[in-house]
Amino acid sequence: MPTDPAKFKVAKEVSRKDILLCLTRVPETKRLFAGSSDGCVYHFDLAGEKTEPVAMEGHTGYVTGVALAGQQVVSGAYDGQLIWWDAESRAKVRGFKAHDRWIRNVVASRDGKLVASVADDMVCRVWDTATAKLKHELRGHEAMTPTHFNSMLYACAFSADGSLLATGDKVGHVVVWDLATGKSLATLEVPEVYTWDPRARIHSIGGIRSLAFSPDGTQLAVGGMGKVGNIDHLEGKPHVEVFNWRKQERVAKFSGDKAKGLITHLVFHPQGDWLLGAGGDGKGLFLFLDVNSGKVLREESALSHFHKFALDESGTRIFTAGHNKLAFWEAAA
Amino acid sequence: MNSHFCGSSEHDVSRRDFLRTLGAGAGLATAGIGAVHSFAAPSLNDTLKANGKSVILLWLAGGASQLETWDPKPGRPTGGPFAAIPTSVPGVHISELMPQMAKRMKDICVIRGLNTKNGDHGGAAQLMMRGRLDEAALRYPDMGAVVARELSRADSKVPDYVSFYTASEGRDFSRQGSSFLGARYSPMKLAESMVPPNLKRLESISDMDHHARAELQELINSQFVAGHATGPVKSHANAYARVHGLMSSETLFDLSQESTKAREAYGPTLFGEQALMARRMVEAGVPFVRVSRAWWDSHGQNFETHQEMVPELDRVMSALHDDLKQRGLLERTLVLAVGEFGRTPAINASLGRDHFANAWSTALFGCGLKGGAVFGKTDKDGQTVVEDQVGAGELFATVLAAIGVNPKKEYQVGARPVPLVNPGIKPITQLLA
Repeated sequence: MPTDPAKFKVAKEVSRKDILLCLTRVPETKRLFAGSSDGCVYHFDLAGEKTEPVAMEGHTGYVTGVALAGQQVVSGAYDGQLIWWDAESRAKVRGFKAHDRWIRNVVASRDGKLVASVADDMVCRVWDTATAKLKHELRGHEAMTPTHFNSMLYACAFSADGSLLATGDKVGHVVVWDLATGKSLATLEVPEVYTWDPRARIHSIGGIRSLAFSPDGTQLAVGGMGKVGNIDHLEGKPHVEVFNWRKQERVAKFSGDKAKGLITHLVFHPQGDWLLGAGGDGKGLFLFLDVNSGKVLREESALSHFHKFALDESGTRIFTAGHNKLAFWEAAA
Repeated sequence: MNSHFCGSSEHDVSRRDFLRTLGAGAGLATAGIGAVHSFAAPSLNDTLKANGKSVILLWLAGGASQLETWDPKPGRPTGGPFAAIPTSVPGVHISELMPQMAKRMKDICVIRGLNTKNGDHGGAAQLMMRGRLDEAALRYPDMGAVVARELSRADSKVPDYVSFYTASEGRDFSRQGSSFLGARYSPMKLAESMVPPNLKRLESISDMDHHARAELQELINSQFVAGHATGPVKSHANAYARVHGLMSSETLFDLSQESTKAREAYGPTLFGEQALMARRMVEAGVPFVRVSRAWWDSHGQNFETHQEMVPELDRVMSALHDDLKQRGLLERTLVLAVGEFGRTPAINASLGRDHFANAWSTALFGCGLKGGAVFGKTDKDGQTVVEDQVGAGELFATVLAAIGVNPKKEYQVGARPVPLVNPGIKPITQLLA
């Protein structure tokens, strides 16, 4: 029985003073690790009456990537550091400077053996989780935009089987990597997510902010924001394109109609029911998308911007991290 | 970059228009008649003009964030994601986005205590450009016009006030103008191109003809002036000379005259090229050049915007500093980087910062200002000024004082004496040599 997107409702909200920029979830639980603007990783347990967050201190910048890899949590921050934590004791295992510039995201392969980090040094580094040794250094993104400004490498995602990794940058360039060899298998261009305003404001906004492989690894979803008129604000329409990446063919293109802003995270439903994107402008948004029909199944606004989310194994619970808020959404039975 | 001119009458500065304004303005200025008189002693003015001082205003239109530039608050909830870095002045830290300016801080003054109270783009831009708000019956000249009025020379062959503003957003907010000082001190506005339109002689006139006409005009003029040595007649002759000077100084507007090294130092962006052009202009004797970098109004994605734009500002500003210093121009050129306001310490849900005029910053250097000085202090979250608060008037007065113009000076507008700054406003003496 497919999960009906219309049935999702807020089950719990936790107000925060900080900005929660990323999260990862412990399987089969309501335990979460979230990265904060205050430089901490927080452990939350939403199962109980009180969430009682526990701070894990170690970073000196916004924590923008956190991934559960087996028994360890790996976090990355704007300080360029990656830190390994023990998921149970929450003690720091190791930490080191992994990138010269801001780390934008950290993801783990499903089996937990690999961790990947992307940063504004425009390099993706793939690490052996157990040893923290560098396995691949993936360079496929230009350091500068065509108009001579620093580019940014925002997004990365593993395929479900861990054999592929995709990376996406500010100007809309995507690279799909073969992790057996560390070689590029394909590139895609998604220029619509990058707005360079040469006339009114002479700077830019946007970029690829999210990537997700379909469960079978044949499709790659790319998220961001469509072209923007006034780049002072996140006022573009949320934008998602899905590709058959091997053929370099776009198979679906989605744009939100109600809400505005970025798609900061994309996840395919574990059973393939739909593709879920989340993000927003000042407010939050969910986009439930049917890739086969090309239709938007549900577009939902929320009070506050979502930076990242986690979908549970059944696809019936969504955990969101965002501006001053952590929330738990549940599909009513 | 676009090289065509927008064609609007507002921005068109033709040779003929230039001539007309020169003639009118120079007539007033040199004859000492008309609506505006200055109470300054002529000898002082002459000394100033002979010193050839100039101002370059880097106009950060839309409002750059003080927290991402000159007054970082790392580790505070309002601080944002950027670290603070030490500078060449012990104890002074600025944003990590400005490593080049950090190295040069011994030559830089920072004002961290601006409270200008006006968070509206248009009103704030006028306030910062004029040092005060207009009265109902009196529109004040802006900084460029006042500097041009005070430092321009009647025999100058270059414009007195040039303003680059290429982005369309906010271009008209500050309503630049000379007001009662007259058209001569209005800016030559360069919006779409770095070269004034119609600068070249007509192709139908040969170079020989052009020079022959100029010589004939000069001969007739000199004979006429000999018999009619009045101010307006002299100014008319001067105006013609300036237009010829402008036409013959076509290379002034030609950046290819600069070395590859110089161009690389300023960078390949429009802002960099216009800043380099500003240096060429002050070197040639232009008293006031405004180079506008728009648009900083980052209500959403403030940190992405500043990560894009502040490194460019850092590169351009440091290149300008070095270039002026190497050419021996730093002692007679003041560089000011300021916009209409700063940005809120609070970070909104779009990761943006909004308009904020209550506690923000500016930086300036050159003309003997005390390098390494930091004036004013904000609280730990950057919400309020807690020490040495100043407003737009004090900044305006400080610029004037630094270039040797007495801010207490008055213009006589009809029957009314109009001071350069409002009564009670003083320059920040702690920054002056």
